[in-house]
Amino acid sequence: MDYLAEKYFRTRKTPSTACSGCGLGQAQKMLTKAMYDLGLELEDVIWGTSIGCAGRQTFGMWKGDGLAGTHGRVYAIVSGLALALPEGKKIVCTVGDGDAFGIGLLHLLNAARRNLDVTIVVCDNLGYQSTGGQYGWSTPEGSVTDSSPYGMYEPNWIQDGRDVLNIIREAGATFLARHVSMDGEFGVKSMEKALLNKGFSLVHVVYPCTTNYASTALGSRNAVNIFRWIQNHSCRLEEEGGKDVIWKTGVYHDASNSRPDFTTLMRDKLEDIKRRLAS
Amino acid sequence: MKRYLETGNFAIAQAAAIAGCRLFAGYPITPATEIAEEMSKIMPEVGGYYMQAEDECGALHMCIGGALGGLKTMTATSGPGYILYADPYGWAIGSEIPLVVVNSGRVGPVSGITGSPGQGEFYNVRYPTQGGNYETIVLAPNSAQEAFELVVEAFYLSERFRTPVTILADQLITDGMEDISIPETEEEMKEMGLRFKEREINYGPEFYPATDEIDIPPVVLGQNTGALCSDWTPTEEGYDTEEMVEAHKHVYRLIYKIRNHKDVFSRHESLFMDDNPDLVVVSYGTPSRVVKAAVKAARKKGMSVGALRLITLWPFPDELFTAKATYLSVEFNYDGQLVREVERAAPSDSKIHFFGRCGELPEISSLLELFQTLLDGNPISAIKWEREAW
Repeated sequence: MDYLAEKYFRTRKTPSTACSGCGLGQAQKMLTKAMYDLGLELEDVIWGTSIGCAGRQTFGMWKGDGLAGTHGRVYAIVSGLALALPEGKKIVCTVGDGDAFGIGLLHLLNAARRNLDVTIVVCDNLGYQSTGGQYGWSTPEGSVTDSSPYGMYEPNWIQDGRDVLNIIREAGATFLARHVSMDGEFGVKSMEKALLNKGFSLVHVVYPCTTNYASTALGSRNAVNIFRWIQNHSCRLEEEGGKDVIWKTGVYHDASNSRPDFTTLMRDKLEDIKRRLAS
Repeated sequence: MKRYLETGNFAIAQAAAIAGCRLFAGYPITPATEIAEEMSKIMPEVGGYYMQAEDECGALHMCIGGALGGLKTMTATSGPGYILYADPYGWAIGSEIPLVVVNSGRVGPVSGITGSPGQGEFYNVRYPTQGGNYETIVLAPNSAQEAFELVVEAFYLSERFRTPVTILADQLITDGMEDISIPETEEEMKEMGLRFKEREINYGPEFYPATDEIDIPPVVLGQNTGALCSDWTPTEEGYDTEEMVEAHKHVYRLIYKIRNHKDVFSRHESLFMDDNPDLVVVSYGTPSRVVKAAVKAARKKGMSVGALRLITLWPFPDELFTAKATYLSVEFNYDGQLVREVERAAPSDSKIHFFGRCGELPEISSLLELFQTLLDGNPISAIKWEREAW
């Protein structure tokens, strides 16, 4: 077994029930490799997930404590959980694109506003794939899906001037990065930075769905085909890239540890109020 | 004992603090806003957290999060906010999370009349979420003082049963100013009949045992127990499953942990019921106060009338309706909700009637007229319990 899986994952849930050729494992591996590199142990992390491919496939894998929230709500749940946890616990969430950028965006933005101490990895398979392959808020323009048979023409959240990461930055996130799941060590470094930020970190990772997206939008379930297609449509943030580039990868925003996280703020305020009441 | 001339909202906040609530998350809504305001003041005083959520859906999810971390938590709202609880409420039921929900009823549907009392959520509180396959505990106070006592009780029951407990009040109870006694010592609390239960931690490995037993500690995250908690049907260890046999085991527990222990929480008030009166007036919440006065007045006039005041609304106390009689349900709504359950529970040869009013209380005189009409054997309804004229 993979050394990361052996250290962090339950045998009952490994290997996962993800489809053959799914890239979710790459995103998950980046995250766990970063945890490993930082020396995080099972008792240091509460692992939260949501529903959909990213949520369900990653739920219960973590050998430590774990939770899965309903569609889009895990950000509100962990906002309450963070206040209740013992000192030193880290909350990590693996969620899907529909969860973070669609149904849960309000809760996500408010968690960013609070600078909640959480690392959110948005595992983006370019739409609603666990329900059979409908377009979502990160589906590239023109993609044929089960709910966009004439090509996706609704404005999405990943175009220039309407990048969801800009919205989340404005909401108050203190660390933001974007990657594709093939980024390997490059992505691991961003994950490490995300985990080291005591505040709201979000890493957006685009990964291939062979069963639905590749099949409908690219016309082939061939895993190599969609892996290459994603790679060919991405480049590093600092590179010029061509008109074909959809995803620029790297660190978008790093204001790590620049303001107190929500729990610290709330605990400090409580102490402050206690002092004021006593005097 | 400390006495106040204060609102039910104040009493509810005091109760929460005394019961050990240390996280309140809410969203402003008339007529429950003052509960949030009181909680924002009192929580920091006792070392607890006040969170103002982005919406009611977020609020109850935050309470769930806090409860999962080991805190006692509460949220409060009114009808339009209560429906946004539907999503987290189901999660809390399914994952057996102890917390307290307060609903102060106003006049619906939708935003309706914001500042007047209503009882439109009698069924909502029984079915606060989708999917069925669960039982709920709902308590209905009829005064600020009783709201205080029932909120403390709700926290106690939520811990023993590992489930959300709802307090169904109405605008007159939460906004109304009344004489309230708040106990200060353990002795005074005991004297008032208050019960308390500390949060315990479930160490597994069977976090969701297939049993109707109560007093099983809930899942608490962050204690290195390896606990799993999700919105899917859990195996006994907490893994998500698609197996119907596991679903059956799970929902058996959700239903029967409550149904099989009704004796722990069932409460009601009987008035002049010992001589099997011909007419039984059924109510809960604020209308029950007028009913009580009307029934007392009716007795003085020699009418054979009694009253049943429900405090535990759900599970519905079928056992109170074994006598064949004429029943009259008096409610704060025009559509008739409680009356449907009375009709279901009462012997089939009983006569069932409904009197509904919204926003304001019925007058004692009009209730007395109704009583007389029914005792004379005349109908007040054309078809079953629907009113003849508006």
